[in-house]
Amino acid sequence: MKIKIIILFCLDVVISAFLIGASQKNEGPKPHYIQFKIPDGWPKPPTNIFAKNRLSEEGFQLGKKLFYDGRLSKDGNFPCASCHQQFGAFASYDHDFSHGYNNSFTTRNAPPLFNLAWMTTFHWDGGVNHIEVQPLSPLTAQNEMAETLDSVLYKLQKDSEYPGLFRAAFGSSKITSQRMLKALAQFTGSIVSANSKYDKVMRGEAKFTYSEENGYKLFKAKCAACHKEPLFTDDSFRNTGMAVNPFLNDYGRMKITGNPADSLKFKVPTLRNVLVTFPYMHDGRFYSLSAVLDHYRTGVITTQPTLDSLLVDGIPFTNIQKNELIYFMATLTDTSMTKNTRFAQNTAAKVSLSAHDSSHVAH
Amino acid sequence: MKKSILLFSILFFAIVGFTGFKNAGRIKDKKGTVKITFVNTVKGNPIELNKGTYTNPFGETYSISKFKYYVSRISLAFAGGNFIEPESYHLINESEPEDLSFTFELNTGNYQSLSFLLGVDSLKNVSGAQTDALDPLNDMFWTWNSGYIMAKMEGNSPQSKVVNKKVEFHIGGFSGAYNVLKNIKLDFSAATTLIISSEKTSEIVIEADFDTWWQNPNAIKIADHSVCTTPGALAMQFADNYAKMFTIKKVTNN
Repeated sequence: MKIKIIILFCLDVVISAFLIGASQKNEGPKPHYIQFKIPDGWPKPPTNIFAKNRLSEEGFQLGKKLFYDGRLSKDGNFPCASCHQQFGAFASYDHDFSHGYNNSFTTRNAPPLFNLAWMTTFHWDGGVNHIEVQPLSPLTAQNEMAETLDSVLYKLQKDSEYPGLFRAAFGSSKITSQRMLKALAQFTGSIVSANSKYDKVMRGEAKFTYSEENGYKLFKAKCAACHKEPLFTDDSFRNTGMAVNPFLNDYGRMKITGNPADSLKFKVPTLRNVLVTFPYMHDGRFYSLSAVLDHYRTGVITTQPTLDSLLVDGIPFTNIQKNELIYFMATLTDTSMTKNTRFAQNTAAKVSLSAHDSSHVAH
Repeated sequence: MKKSILLFSILFFAIVGFTGFKNAGRIKDKKGTVKITFVNTVKGNPIELNKGTYTNPFGETYSISKFKYYVSRISLAFAGGNFIEPESYHLINESEPEDLSFTFELNTGNYQSLSFLLGVDSLKNVSGAQTDALDPLNDMFWTWNSGYIMAKMEGNSPQSKVVNKKVEFHIGGFSGAYNVLKNIKLDFSAATTLIISSEKTSEIVIEADFDTWWQNPNAIKIADHSVCTTPGALAMQFADNYAKMFTIKKVTNN
């Protein structure tokens, strides 16, 4: 009898603790957590961006909805996706500068968004130090989305759908800037491009043509020091010897560090999907890969004191080699990413892409 | 019979068990509360936002429309150790009276000094989206050069050289040569040792004098510098000046 009571007591404690714990939280059902997959043979991301922002299907879907929602901008016309178009590898297709609120232009070429989980800094000058705080810049910039954080949160809180989506992703319907930013990071951080022809060749599933193969060899000899495989960037800042645009007077990284040694240095961009991310360079001054290669061959201004040491003699190559390099770079296009419906706007909401209030669209 | 024993045991042990544990916890650690209040002044006179007119050591006049700063990693020293407030991040905002004081629990005993970081530690500057005091909604986070504004003053002055005679000092920078973070240590004099008694609240009142921003060691005139909104050498000069902003005004033991 005594033993029975002791056993019951132990049970009581366990059960009561469980019931009290459960009743105090008042949380919704747990989100469906998902695993972020690192492609085979790739390095681990320098920091795990999902360590304190656990990736879930609900978080990803919420982030995607926010990414495509014009209400994150002042007049409803500029969702994140207006400058970051999936068919252009989430860069601004065919635009040197992107369009912003009230007929304005941005001052730099919009970078593509993929493989962000491996990036330690954001922006051409590296001014943003974490994927979660990145959206704050375009959201509040007067020549981009021109909104305030308060106003965006107010719109989301008043919406008929968002409170439920935040509850599904984060356990309660409370809409905070932190949750909004974490959801956006779950979406953008999940976009991975690792299935181009180049990747298939590396996995032994395809073969380069003769020209592509020659281009790859040249690439490894002349370009890979900065555009490091498999991400095709080393995430560093370098001066590639371009003339300063006198209208923009953009000195790049120096604006962030205040260090003259960083003058005219810009982030080394990835070359993955490079064929669809034209125009090129931080100000989109070159509309073709041919023009970019001509710059490296004959256009580098070697008198700039901060010029990258690898470019003091430019990069010499023949016309045939130039074409081979372009053939190789064309193998870096990953249509399984640019056409992946998982990253595309959900069709029911598409109708309202630029509408002021998409909450009335039937789903 | 068996059922009633079961039911009885569930109720009895659940209630007795839990209240027992709760009391045991209390007896083990005697706790009291400290209330910390910041009084923002110019030369000892409480700041009047948008109303007061003040004169700096160089005879330049100015008004203040915003005055706020971060106080974090608060610790209180006792003989043989320190109590550190958990998750210690506070935004002291002159325009939000309820943000000027806060309380937390700590062990009973005598405390000799108070230390805190003026600003937000570097780790939190690089760890993504934060919430509560560190929410970017508080308008203390730079979006183009990630990092917290550690202390901010805005106002106007006839001596200002910028649009609408504005004065804007947004002091930040957390790394490398331009780290403005300041460790502040304030001693309670022997007569006013902070005493925390069980289930009572003792209070510390700290004065923050904005007048310290202008000089000692660095003379900064509005005519020369009406605006400082980037990390750099000027921000460092301000930080060296404002590190002496705080004094203990009063300690009340209960």
